[in-house]
Amino acid sequence: MSSIRVNPFPMPDLLAAVEQLQRQQSNATLELATGSSINKPSDNPEGAAQLVKLSDLSSQLDSFQHSVSAISGQFSTADATLSSVVTVLQRAITLGTEGANGTLSDADRQAIVVELTGIQSQLLSLANTSYQGQYIFSGTSTTQPFVLDPTQTSGVRYTGNSGINDVTIGAGYQLQVNVPGSQVFNGAADTFLAINNLITSMESNTGIGTAVTNVGNALTYISGQQAFYGNAINQTQSQQTYLSAQSVGLAQQQNTIGAADLTAVASQLALDQTSQTAALEAIGKMPQTSLFDYLK
Amino acid sequence: MSSLFGSLAIATGALGADQGAMDATTNNVANANTPGYSRLVPVLVQSDPVVIGNVTYGEGVVLQQLRSVRDPILQLRIENETQQQGQLNTVVSAMQQAQVQFTSSSSDIGSEISNLFSSLNQLSTDPTNASLRQSVLAAAGNLSTVFNNTSNALSQQRTNLDLNVSQTVQQVNTLSAQIAGLNTNISQLEGVGQDASAFEDQRDVAIGQLSNLIGVSTIQSDNSLTLTTGNGSPLVVGGQSFNLSTQSNASGFQDVYSQGQDITSKLTSGELGGLVQVRDQTIPGVISNLDTLASGLANAMNAANAKGFDLYGNPGGNIFVPPAGTGQGYAATMAVAITDPSLIAASSDGTQGSNGNIAVLTAVENQNVAGGQTPTDYYSNIVANVGNDVANATAELSSTQLALNQLQDQLGSVSGVSLDEEAANMVQYQRAYDAAANVVTTINDMIYTAINMSTLTV
Repeated sequence: MSSIRVNPFPMPDLLAAVEQLQRQQSNATLELATGSSINKPSDNPEGAAQLVKLSDLSSQLDSFQHSVSAISGQFSTADATLSSVVTVLQRAITLGTEGANGTLSDADRQAIVVELTGIQSQLLSLANTSYQGQYIFSGTSTTQPFVLDPTQTSGVRYTGNSGINDVTIGAGYQLQVNVPGSQVFNGAADTFLAINNLITSMESNTGIGTAVTNVGNALTYISGQQAFYGNAINQTQSQQTYLSAQSVGLAQQQNTIGAADLTAVASQLALDQTSQTAALEAIGKMPQTSLFDYLK
Repeated sequence: MSSLFGSLAIATGALGADQGAMDATTNNVANANTPGYSRLVPVLVQSDPVVIGNVTYGEGVVLQQLRSVRDPILQLRIENETQQQGQLNTVVSAMQQAQVQFTSSSSDIGSEISNLFSSLNQLSTDPTNASLRQSVLAAAGNLSTVFNNTSNALSQQRTNLDLNVSQTVQQVNTLSAQIAGLNTNISQLEGVGQDASAFEDQRDVAIGQLSNLIGVSTIQSDNSLTLTTGNGSPLVVGGQSFNLSTQSNASGFQDVYSQGQDITSKLTSGELGGLVQVRDQTIPGVISNLDTLASGLANAMNAANAKGFDLYGNPGGNIFVPPAGTGQGYAATMAVAITDPSLIAASSDGTQGSNGNIAVLTAVENQNVAGGQTPTDYYSNIVANVGNDVANATAELSSTQLALNQLQDQLGSVSGVSLDEEAANMVQYQRAYDAAANVVTTINDMIYTAINMSTLTV
């Protein structure tokens, strides 16, 4: 026989083709269901590795955002506290100026002394402000930073330390989160000493003017310290914005690598379904008869 | 000169030949769906002519043999592709199971590494906070657990593959014995000049099954057949089969022996080749990478913790149980060394509120702790490698399957039974038989005429 014979049993071939189409369809369905083109590492090994790295970056961004909001609370509390300190000191200056007026009686000055003593303990309480159980102005110490101590000329002793904490709020971006109380209240101008001196001057009615000037200096100094927290709040806000933008960018990158191209997958799925129907029809229409049927 | 009886003999011979040919057709039709069956064709030849005087008289037809149509070269190529297919199938299905461990999820190794460093970042905002410290410990515990689980799942898979090795060796032995038996039958039949095609078909099927299990080389001589493994260890020599055996090796896995020789590492194709490859190389490679990562990370975290001070003001101790030696097997045993969250050394100066050492701890995330890479980069490479193993084997498998389909299609076109063809043959032989029978009748008439000639003339 000269002609090339045809395989009389093409069924296994056809079934292999149908099986292949079914596999493709089940992959496509999975992609559509998960919206992701990488459902196991073998789908795209390099892409899967990229996604591992991107997911780590995204988790880092999340934790930076967490940190930013955690320290923001601390910053706001410190800022508000120092605002109160400024208000209180302004009241002390007003009282001091009144007391400096020579027309006041001893009893009047005594009343001012009482109010100034109240201001003194108010300041002490403000300096010992805590945020979530941690004193804001204690450095890195965990004990109450300012305690009354008559042996000190200012009447108050600093028991905290000069430690400073930094918190990472971005890749390689560390932000100082605290200013030690010794720097805020006992720096170039000592707040407690200024108030204590004002009270002593008021009681003895001598040198009140100088004492008031010193309280004024303390106020100016504290305002300077407050600027640190104002600055820090601004930095956290802009970092928050930056981190959000980064997150969006990262999500886009993840999508580019891992998201299924839904339109393409859906149309491929439709194509595969059509092919499968066609293949099955072809199998169904394969000759059921042979020459034997016609030899009756 | 020819004779009427001579013609009668020729016609009778034709009847016999046509019957024999019809027998081939019948057998073909009967075995149309028998796996491995090669169709028979009748080999009809002219009888040697007789020369009397100037005239050469034909002596009719002889059915020389019923030949089965086969293509040994095609058969060999199919065996080779089948060996490839067996190996790749095993690799793909084993590695598909393995890669499940590395499929991205919220609790895979990569995520747990990220979680550990995230929890440390949180702690830096409030270093004395007990619950933040507790979550660092929890994250370290989760990381250890996921390393343990991943490594153990892979080891378990090795054990399962090992079980398959023993079973496959038994199947190889069974098939070798079968083939040796068929060899004996074939050489006996062919020794007395008989047709052994039925046994040859069975032997082809058995060799095909054997090829799926183990890489074999086939050496065919006249009527005997030798099968060896890829490295030349005998499986079947003529009527004798040689059993493979298994023995436990130092790591508790079964090595394959032939004639007292360890041939495990020489098995490269067939299911057995795939099993041995994944069991002894691929999975141990992945486990060893996990060990490198886990031990590198644990050492770096311990070293970083030692640079700071815990909540009691003491220098930091180990966070993780330190890996022994080079860290081999560490992924399976990794564990957190402390239960007291206060022992995390957040402080850089011994004061409780300091968070200075947390920066040292989180810096480990960007340190080259394993194979000169950061923890996440190293892990992403493991994922890529496992993915590549599966993807490459899958691609090879589908091209092998394609080749195998084509070869089988080709073999089918050579050896397969076509019912149309058989029907046509049947008609042809039937008509030939009819014709020969008519010739017999006619000669019979002629002989009758000849016998009655004398009565006519007298």
